[in-house]
Amino acid sequence: MKIATVRGQWLSAVLAVMAIPVISFLVVTTGGLGSGETSTSAAATGSIAGLLAFGIWSAMITAGEYAKGTMVTSLTTVPRRPVLYAAKLTATATAAGVGALLSAAIALLVVLGVRAPGTYGLGNPASLVSVAMAVITIAVIGVSVGVITRSPSASIAIVVVALLLPKAASGLLGGLQPWIIGASPGTVVTEVVGGTQLPVSQTFPAGTWAAALTMLAVAVVVAGGGAFAFLRRDG
Amino acid sequence: MVEDATKVIEGVTVLNGVSFTAQPGRVTAFLGPNGAGKSTTLRAILGIDHLTSGRATIGGRPFRDRRRPVQVVGALLTPDAAHPRRTARGHLTVVATSNGLPRVSVQRALELAGIVPIADLPVGKMSLGMRQRLGLATALIGDPAVLILDEPHNGLDAAAIRWLRVVLRALADAGRTVLLSSHLMSEIELICDDVVVIREGRILVASTLDEVVCGTASASKRVPLEERYLHLVGEM
Repeated sequence: MKIATVRGQWLSAVLAVMAIPVISFLVVTTGGLGSGETSTSAAATGSIAGLLAFGIWSAMITAGEYAKGTMVTSLTTVPRRPVLYAAKLTATATAAGVGALLSAAIALLVVLGVRAPGTYGLGNPASLVSVAMAVITIAVIGVSVGVITRSPSASIAIVVVALLLPKAASGLLGGLQPWIIGASPGTVVTEVVGGTQLPVSQTFPAGTWAAALTMLAVAVVVAGGGAFAFLRRDG
Repeated sequence: MVEDATKVIEGVTVLNGVSFTAQPGRVTAFLGPNGAGKSTTLRAILGIDHLTSGRATIGGRPFRDRRRPVQVVGALLTPDAAHPRRTARGHLTVVATSNGLPRVSVQRALELAGIVPIADLPVGKMSLGMRQRLGLATALIGDPAVLILDEPHNGLDAAAIRWLRVVLRALADAGRTVLLSSHLMSEIELICDDVVVIREGRILVASTLDEVVCGTASASKRVPLEERYLHLVGEM
């Protein structure tokens, strides 16, 4: 309801939904896919753009409330803070998850529509659920970081850094590289949908599902930090 | 009810043993200079700010335990409490939905605050006075037993000030508790029954209006509230 009544927020969500199909379309039509790819993995090539878009959008939901001073209204209309925090997490993660599923489905249809006949196999479309799972993870992190920092710019910076820095600074991670990069949302999606063979240095040593669980565990920890800040600090 | 409320922010004591009670059926004015601790006290009553010690309750319970808060307390703390891109109707609909109120309560609140003609305008396009009216509509939407208003007169024109006076008086006469802060002493003198004055985080006076403006029982001379208030806070 809160998202639906602010045009900027639902427009941003619509743009976030469009991010993955647009990237997939560009990659397929420009011949940017390798020979081992499938239509499903091609549909997931824009995942990092979707993760960035939904992560920023989620961070703005809570950080924006603090920046605009409207958190006071939220706290006076729903003063039970655990309930309010859980509602924000649930609503944002649900909207982001549904948006991500829709986005991945559109991306798959786009790929199937524009691929040259007989070029790529279908792959496993059900694996695109991993896109929604990764987006939900980053949405939970975005909402929590927004509550912790209370600053839109700081929240956005943290979301962007969390998604992009591990790969960009992989050389600095040493032996932790496969553990950190392997459990990052973009890598988890790549692993689940198949297609591109990731180098060993970016593959989570304990396996794909362990990587996914680690990713979710990180989100739970960050959400816990957000809950602690939300319950303890002045509004 | 506020009992021995103390609030320390980064080593600075902004509330120091504040105690007072706002009674049902009466309008209680909460007065004090800028920075005296009025807003901090009101925010503590509403559970927005935490007290370092002491407690603030509404009907014997902390406000943050309430399941249907807008039917217990209507609050106006700032005229900028609504998202600037949301319409007045959208803002009130969000508040109503979050508290299980029927849709009709939105229209009723819009009518009560006199903002039906601008109900579908984004809040960011409204004047300060209209945003203040929207804040009052938000406070009144649940027909609450208690009203807490922080400087509700800010930005209101003469007609709106008169409207607010009538509304608050009627609500108090119907048994509601009204607690408001304001710097408009002449207006406060017209509507309040009780006066609480705070300065530098300490309560100076908590009494009836008559006792404040007439002084002690032996002194029969009635002086304007503004004069008495300025004497109390040491600015005259």
